[in-house]
Amino acid sequence: MDELLHGFRIDHEACGGCFACMRSCPTHAIRVRHGKAELLSELCIDCGTCLEACTCGAIAARTSSIDEIGKFAYKVVVASPVICSQFPADVRPEHIVEGLLSVGFDVVWDYGVEIGLAARAIADYVDRWRGPRPLISISCPVIVRLVQVSYPRMVEQLIPLQPPRELAGREIKRRCPAELGLAPEQVAAIYITPCQARTISIIQPAEGGKSHLDGAVGISEVYNAVLAGARAAAKEGKQASAPNIVRSASMLRWSTSQALARRLVKHRYMSVTGLANVIQVFDDVEKGKLRDIEFLECYGCWGGCTNGNLTVDNVYVSQAKLDGLMERYAEFDRDTEREVERRFPHEDYTLERQVAPRRMRGVPGDLKERVRQVRHAEEVLGQLPGLDCGLCGAPSCKVLARDVSRGEAARTDCVFLSEDRLTELKRLYLRTTSAK
Amino acid sequence: MAEELLSREFRVRGKDFDKAGETSTEIKTILKNLGIDPGLIRKAVVVTFEAEMNVVMYAAEGTITFTLTDEDICIEVADDGPGIPDISLAMQEGYSTATDEMREMGFGFGMGLPNMKKNSDSFKLVSEVGKGTTLTSRIRLDSHG
Repeated sequence: MDELLHGFRIDHEACGGCFACMRSCPTHAIRVRHGKAELLSELCIDCGTCLEACTCGAIAARTSSIDEIGKFAYKVVVASPVICSQFPADVRPEHIVEGLLSVGFDVVWDYGVEIGLAARAIADYVDRWRGPRPLISISCPVIVRLVQVSYPRMVEQLIPLQPPRELAGREIKRRCPAELGLAPEQVAAIYITPCQARTISIIQPAEGGKSHLDGAVGISEVYNAVLAGARAAAKEGKQASAPNIVRSASMLRWSTSQALARRLVKHRYMSVTGLANVIQVFDDVEKGKLRDIEFLECYGCWGGCTNGNLTVDNVYVSQAKLDGLMERYAEFDRDTEREVERRFPHEDYTLERQVAPRRMRGVPGDLKERVRQVRHAEEVLGQLPGLDCGLCGAPSCKVLARDVSRGEAARTDCVFLSEDRLTELKRLYLRTTSAK
Repeated sequence: MAEELLSREFRVRGKDFDKAGETSTEIKTILKNLGIDPGLIRKAVVVTFEAEMNVVMYAAEGTITFTLTDEDICIEVADDGPGIPDISLAMQEGYSTATDEMREMGFGFGMGLPNMKKNSDSFKLVSEVGKGTTLTSRIRLDSHG
């Protein structure tokens, strides 16, 4: 199997070993050893919490640079509708299109059609489903990874359909080279993303296989340039050179945490945002508590994608702007719906591969050995202070105890149990501070 | 004879709907740390959760004993509740003696006991009216999750 990649990189040079990422990680996938953060790759679900927590600028999202994209002859941009909520209110969607073109993209894709197609495919799937409930949306890559890692028995409840960004990528690759007389590899489909998790879903899709998109650029990375281009276009008051990408409220609604609420009114539907909430709800699903719910729309970020870590504006401000913008459009647009109607029967929506549980290293040893480890961990935990200070390099006393029982850490990593550890920390951190 | 490897006891308080479900979460964590097959963990979680709910709904107090042997996971639940007069009736899907109040909270649809049985490889229910109920669920480690 290929090495598991993630939507961010930790720069070990820049890492000050401050423990902030380790303490914030919801899946306990980070340890700090010898003053540097280390990622336990198989536990990481790409939620991006560490990016925001990092105080030294050592953790950065893995996205495509505009330079990398420059090598393609024809660059099509698929912009998450979240982008429409990021600019000052006087910058209208048609200006944003001009702004994106000014950055160097050749065309801004009419993404509303694929959003319509995907929404319809999901509604059909929910209608037909007779297996265990609730079904779970896969729009957010963090949710897919959370299920793969922590709820492996629930993978069959993930809706195995292509997200609209992939449908768009496929259509771009199908249509553009033929229309322009270019080779397929000369045409790039680039996604403008609100978070690093969408990027990793393009670089390394959770189900394996290959994305139809060629890369992703964060909203925050192109923000200034797009804003300048959009402002210039607005000032000139020139007639838009490209068709507007936003024509309906339903397209904008796709970027909210209730993207499918209106499409699934006949079904028992629930929207859950924020990883801690999602985990609570999934625990209930696992206990068999939420059998009556048919569909769960879940997002790792609290409030949904407008709160992604590559967005610019505050989540509440973004949502208010989005609400205002949705007011201006009808729920559905006739041209978009006609195109959805035309294309719907001809597309295959199933994911090219099935989502499977992530293959984990597992707990080593036979059952008796593993029981011995669990007992050992309990014994170690009894000796630890229970303060979860994290100075041992593990996020909690419980995690340290488990690491010790598996031979991955030492009891003496705890400052309460070892003078040497304290001395080492002083050497590492007091020196780092004075060196600055 | 199966060899006992690990055993833990949990107390469940009646009418404590707020805490209901905590024991199944703890048992899940233990089984996860033991590297038990996720399918078996899910069965154990469902059995424990339904058992907890029964104790919370009908009894003043109950004890859940989790035992791992080299052959199976055993979950034994003993409570001091009113007891079950007709066990075969209680085992029928949809049969429930839950009050309206319990139903309003989303519990008591008569699926608890049948669901526990469905998720067990062996299921034993002993009850004496006025004394309490003891049920034993076993999930074999070599069964398919």
